[in-house]
Amino acid sequence: MTSRRDEPRENRLERPIDGALHLLDRQLIDCEGALLGKVDDVELTQVGDDLAITAVLTGPAALLSRLGGRLGDELVAKWAQLKVSEPHRTRPWRIDMEDVERLDSALHLSVRRDGVLRRDREGHRLGRLTGMDVLGPDGERIGRVLDARFEPGAEGSLVLCSLIVGHGRPGSLLGYDRRSDQGPWLVRTVVRRLHRHTVIVAAETAEISWADSTVRLAERPSEAPSHPFG
Amino acid sequence: MKKYLAVALGILTAIGGFVDIGDLVTNAQVGARFGLSLAWAVAAGVLGICVFAEMSGRVAAVSGRATFDLVRERLGPRLGLLNLVSSMLITFLTFVAEIGGVALSLQLVASVHLLLIVPLVGLLVWLLLWRAKFSAIENVLGLLGLALVVFAVGLWQLGPDWGALAHQAAVADKPADEDWRTFAYYAVALFGAAMTPYEVFFFSSGGVEERWTTEDIATMRANVFVGFPLGGLLSLAIAGSAWAVLGPLEITVDSLGQVGLPVAAALGKVGLAVAILGFVAATFGAACETGLSVGYSIAQYFGAQWGKYVRPSEATVFHAILLLATLAATAFLMTAVDPIMVTEVSVVFSAVALPLTYFPILVVANDPDYMGEHVNGRLANGLGSVYLVVIGVAAVAAIPLMIWTRMGQ
Repeated sequence: MTSRRDEPRENRLERPIDGALHLLDRQLIDCEGALLGKVDDVELTQVGDDLAITAVLTGPAALLSRLGGRLGDELVAKWAQLKVSEPHRTRPWRIDMEDVERLDSALHLSVRRDGVLRRDREGHRLGRLTGMDVLGPDGERIGRVLDARFEPGAEGSLVLCSLIVGHGRPGSLLGYDRRSDQGPWLVRTVVRRLHRHTVIVAAETAEISWADSTVRLAERPSEAPSHPFG
Repeated sequence: MKKYLAVALGILTAIGGFVDIGDLVTNAQVGARFGLSLAWAVAAGVLGICVFAEMSGRVAAVSGRATFDLVRERLGPRLGLLNLVSSMLITFLTFVAEIGGVALSLQLVASVHLLLIVPLVGLLVWLLLWRAKFSAIENVLGLLGLALVVFAVGLWQLGPDWGALAHQAAVADKPADEDWRTFAYYAVALFGAAMTPYEVFFFSSGGVEERWTTEDIATMRANVFVGFPLGGLLSLAIAGSAWAVLGPLEITVDSLGQVGLPVAAALGKVGLAVAILGFVAATFGAACETGLSVGYSIAQYFGAQWGKYVRPSEATVFHAILLLATLAATAFLMTAVDPIMVTEVSVVFSAVALPLTYFPILVVANDPDYMGEHVNGRLANGLGSVYLVVIGVAAVAAIPLMIWTRMGQ
């Protein structure tokens, strides 16, 4: 089997990306064009001062918990019960970012799919970060994390640069809250109206508490999120 | 020369592949009762499927992503899963109806009990899905489906009052003895039958199977914009000939034999034989397309390897789904459920599910991150937005109308 499409495309990993909009749920394709799963979640690791993307996660253990809230937790527990003799069953399969080559409409690996999955560690997950409650400097609730923007860092890894915060209304994954030139007019107008309160905050001013599942901001944000490719 | 042949082949298979059991039954039912006064609903459905099939084909050609990849990327895993479950229930129902349609067509020839034919058809469908090449399924069955042109010949032979038919179609002149509620119900059913969601699941996944690139967009458009409307004309020919023969006799269509009756009246045994060949090819082709659509969509949601372009041993999950779906559909038919009723229900529920499929396609076809310079133009967006409203209305109205009219009684 050969690579599906010959024309080279822009590699998104070399530019800022919005994790939920551009990376989550994309198809995983190996170096021979074979399909091996979806980006069911993304592993985040604290490296020095930065929160970096260190792996993509795939498989039921990652997907089920993204189905959300109590249902997600229950489904993960059920998934573990299906085979209690298997160690670390709730730990998702991971593919290290070293094995990732480029991102376009899919995520392409630089290796073959055979045996590429590992279950060797557990980190933070992007799917947990999105959906966290966002609190202002006085503890008042501002909204929820809708997405997280990453930019290429010092050692080639993608590091968190800002959070996109809104009211959690439907349609954030459609991308209209981040660019104003995407048609059709009807859908753009409705979705942008729903997301008129969506703002972007710099990662330095946000303190992420994974234990409480909240993000506390040092100042009240007001800047509207524009698209990194806009 | 070779390129023109490929375009011609594509158009011919698009015509032959356009009509399925839902179109056959609904158009004959509507034709017998309403003549061509609902032709506008067929026209609206055909234009709609052209608009969205072109978008999904273009997305597949530019980005390499098929419809359910996009559904999950744009709606997220939770809404995407709900969408998957409901779309697959309806596509599965259509799959059952198509297999039932093949069995009914064969029964017209063999005259043995339907339940003896169903398992054989199920086995044949599965063997084809497992062993046959993608292009073979598409081309052979699509070309044989062209036998349905016999309905247009039959209509011409019947020599109806063309002026009256044209008037009926042009001003939506409902026969006086029919109710507006049933008129609206059948409008939604015809619209659902023409725009059945599996058509874009299959069309976009087929584009990835055949490795379309941006260079194939022109060919794809020719297939869609010439082939589908001509297929729609076939649907109208079925309705017109049903009106000419069954209308005066006040016969309501509830079997596949009655769908073929006008052709038999116009062209005799030979005509009927050709029509039955057309039925078998059209329903068999659609059975393969719906079966594949179930496999494609589920595999695309979970990211598993899918496609006929790899060996079955490399796409095990996909082929396991195909096997299970065919087994389940066969078992469903073995309960002696009436395939015609399954068809009627499936076209109405298709109308309900339309926004689930077409909304994500419209959004992604506008997204420069996927499409680059190939994003929707004004025409595609204008039509797409109008249709978004229309399919919304049809989706909301379908079930209340179904209950209110007791399925068009």
